[in-house]
Amino acid sequence: MPIVKLNNAYLTRLTGTDIERIRASLPMMGSEVEREEEEQTDVQFFPNRPDLYSAEGTARALRGYLGIETGLPKYEVKPSGISFSVDAKLANIRPYLGSAVIRNVHMDNAMIESLMGLQESLHWAVGRGRKKVAIGVHDLDKIKGPFSYIAADRKTTFVPLDYDVEMTMEEILAEHPKGRAYAKIVEEFERFPLITDVKGRICSFPPIINGELTRVTENTHNILLDVTGIEPRAVSVAVKILCAAFVEMGAAIESVEIDGVVSPDLHPEKRTVSVSACSQLTGIPLTAPQMTELLMKMRFGAEVVNEDTVTVEIPCYRADIMHDHDIYEDVAIAFGYDKIETSLPPSFTVGKPHPVQKLYSLVRNIMVGLSYIENTPFTLTSGEISYNMMHRPENPAALHVLHPISEDQTIIRTDILPLLMESLSINRSRELPQRVFACGDVVESLLTYPKMAAASIHTAADFSEIYAVVDAFCRMMSIKYEVRESSDEAFIPGRRGDIYVSGEKVGVFGEINPDVLVGFGLEHQAVAFEMDLRGFVEGK
Amino acid sequence: MDLTINEKRVLATLNESGPIGAETLAKKMDAPLDSVVQWAHLCADNGLLTLEKTVTEQAILTPEGEKYAKEGLPERQILASIDGSVPMSELTKNPLSKIAIGWLRKKNWITIKEGVVYVNDNITIGEDELALKNPIPGTPACKELAKRGLVEVVENTSWKIVITPEGEKIAKDGLDLREEVATLTREQILSGEWKNLPLRKYSIDKLPKKIYAGRIHPNQQILDEIRDLLFEMGFTEFHGSIVQNSFWNFDSLYQPQDHPAREMQDTFHLAEELPLPNGWEKIRDIHKFGGDTGSTGWGGEWSPEVGKKCVLRTHSTSLSIQYLAEHPNPPLKAFSISRVYRRETIDPTHLPEFEQLEGIVMDKDLHFGHLLGFFKEFFGRMGFEEVRFRPGYFPYTEPSVEPEVWVDGLGWVELGGAGIFRKEVTAPWGIDCPVLAWGLGVSRVSMLRMGLKDLRQLYKSDIDWIRASPVRRS
Repeated sequence: MPIVKLNNAYLTRLTGTDIERIRASLPMMGSEVEREEEEQTDVQFFPNRPDLYSAEGTARALRGYLGIETGLPKYEVKPSGISFSVDAKLANIRPYLGSAVIRNVHMDNAMIESLMGLQESLHWAVGRGRKKVAIGVHDLDKIKGPFSYIAADRKTTFVPLDYDVEMTMEEILAEHPKGRAYAKIVEEFERFPLITDVKGRICSFPPIINGELTRVTENTHNILLDVTGIEPRAVSVAVKILCAAFVEMGAAIESVEIDGVVSPDLHPEKRTVSVSACSQLTGIPLTAPQMTELLMKMRFGAEVVNEDTVTVEIPCYRADIMHDHDIYEDVAIAFGYDKIETSLPPSFTVGKPHPVQKLYSLVRNIMVGLSYIENTPFTLTSGEISYNMMHRPENPAALHVLHPISEDQTIIRTDILPLLMESLSINRSRELPQRVFACGDVVESLLTYPKMAAASIHTAADFSEIYAVVDAFCRMMSIKYEVRESSDEAFIPGRRGDIYVSGEKVGVFGEINPDVLVGFGLEHQAVAFEMDLRGFVEGK
Repeated sequence: MDLTINEKRVLATLNESGPIGAETLAKKMDAPLDSVVQWAHLCADNGLLTLEKTVTEQAILTPEGEKYAKEGLPERQILASIDGSVPMSELTKNPLSKIAIGWLRKKNWITIKEGVVYVNDNITIGEDELALKNPIPGTPACKELAKRGLVEVVENTSWKIVITPEGEKIAKDGLDLREEVATLTREQILSGEWKNLPLRKYSIDKLPKKIYAGRIHPNQQILDEIRDLLFEMGFTEFHGSIVQNSFWNFDSLYQPQDHPAREMQDTFHLAEELPLPNGWEKIRDIHKFGGDTGSTGWGGEWSPEVGKKCVLRTHSTSLSIQYLAEHPNPPLKAFSISRVYRRETIDPTHLPEFEQLEGIVMDKDLHFGHLLGFFKEFFGRMGFEEVRFRPGYFPYTEPSVEPEVWVDGLGWVELGGAGIFRKEVTAPWGIDCPVLAWGLGVSRVSMLRMGLKDLRQLYKSDIDWIRASPVRRS
């Protein structure tokens, strides 16, 4: 989640209250205050509320939440007379464009920083790393409409931001830091997206970089916004959030025509919601006027229709309202989660353990009775430990994770014994005897199933000891078993047995092969057994 | 005074013999010298006798020394064999010559000129030769012999033991010299004879040898405690597959297909695929336009191919939704404690796998207040008295909440996320009543309860730590 850095002075100026009150309210509006400094407050907002990713948006919401200014913010949009055309060749490259003209901007440092932070956070949250949506902000006074959004030749040259020489678009992808960072979004295409003005001057190469020509500074007073992308709703939301933030800065929004369609549309969406449904979901007993008031605190427009019906106007920048429940949640937040009367769910039900977990509990009880200490190792492990170090052949049914983080965690365990050997290895400086066991899920192919293993290490550990433990375990579990000579290389020949139940092999036990011991850094004889528990799950 | 049988025997013997050397005492008692001295020391500690230690040195001839004491030192034997002079070549034929020639020259008993050995005049008997007959420790000659390996000096410790008046009194009062009994026999127990037997007494000041009990892992114990609590509250347990396709792990939970949590850096992806369940088209429609739930949906595209791709479950909510799909009728309360997987580098506060407690409550007329009420009760029983609720966000719940508990020294600690499942999540499975859902990081609860700072401890178990962890009693 993005961390939004809020300038305290700017935020308090926009909100009209003191920073302490703001900081106390932020968590209850749905955010986490990460760091509080004298000049700045770092806040994490949730990904469903990109409209809060700036001091302007946060202040707007706070004013409502604190009752300073409630209800729907009104946006007046005059036509700018500027138009845009979109090249049909962009259809399979980056087809969607949103735009707006922003007039009467007077930005100081705090505002420029806030704008850049908002742009960056939107690129992350709405733009998915610029792939879905990318934003360009231009000094409108340096260029002149109508503008063209075209699929350009890759050899087209211009001076990108932060450079003083012309480069081809291909060179930008190869050499410019932003080009290298985002090249993978466009490099597969034959032609690249480009925005030019009426004189063919290049404003931007979306989603990579703007031209130096239109750099925004403190002296910029009129802005052209371009938002391009591959998903029309996301493009439109980004435009609206940016426009709403500019309005908070004191700017005026003007629309442009994109192939005849007016952008932006800052009108609220309307929904009719039910007061009783809201009370039913939240558990807050509400009347229509109360609900209306709470909605206004959250900056919705709201009007009582009748006892159970309220019409809601959803501000254009709210990207998260998909369902009536999203509105009801805002009512609950405005009401205050801590003020909601709570009670236990009244439903009568009878509890019951899952058969596999019940089996694990049984295994634990038996093994503890046999003086074994439980281990709870990871299920992620490696082929090296599971097979090579155990002198066992690789299990072709083991699942490999596609992008492991370390060599130690490349597969999901198919056996538990190797993890116990690893545990003995970690504990080799600890007092002997050590008797350990573990039970839990393993995975073969796509099947998760239960297994258990136990190991004992001390100077006198031998085959008879582990045979006795296997026998005791099976007797207590009421497992009728037989033992046949095993060929498992993890154990010493002549001192190993396979456990069979109803003619099917379910486990193995014996004295660990000294080569295996030494491989794990162990110096004393260890004995062990491992058992597949699939057949013993209750109800099977 | 409690005396062992051996101490009593020492006193009894000493009382008869009067002052006595330890060796004699050992002979009288027919016991090893070392043991007798040890018993005497125990008596001395109680003031019943005194021990006087004398250390003497004794020079003992080695086997080689014994031989030369009889036959003379090699140089003396060689000298005796020379009649005035002898060619060196002749002399070296004698096997003793190797040792002897050096000494003959050192003692200035011979002169060698042009390959001929001449015996010198005025040869006397040396101190070393005298000492060989009667070695006296500490003398230069004896030291010389020790260097040549002919003599060994050993220390002899002798003890003179004298009974004290207190010891005498105890001895005169009579000592029970019968053998002490360690383990009672069946006959001794049944006949009652044990009452009259001298039972060996054990020292209670000496700590016993440690034994380590078998035990359930401390973390598992906390998990079992949570399970018991949920059973008491009427919850049924569910369990499921570690491997899930993206459909169940993400899509069915209304996580958009371009959601960042699905990306490679957050999730363990597998090459395998699992087919989509019947009714998957409803999920597609919900993502694209909300289906018939009254939702707008996410818009954009939704690919069934993406849904088939397998991941290691990133949360057990993927099991909850499948459990609900199989059990769509209210009332229902269910939970699971399951390993979940996040693609994190291992450090003290991050692990790639950990336990998540996942729970659902479904019934008609449930509301958000019930969810909060459940948490107050649950956390209260877990020992966290103060609970607060912050708005949260999860793609699959609305309203959403992050419950936090107060921990002294840490402040408000977030333990998980919860909410009411969105219609977009429940409607496709024919569920038309509210489902309260939550997921808690139980490792965090374990850390708080056990005072751990390093999460790794829970999975890479130090056996000393498990052995030392107290069993929780409440």
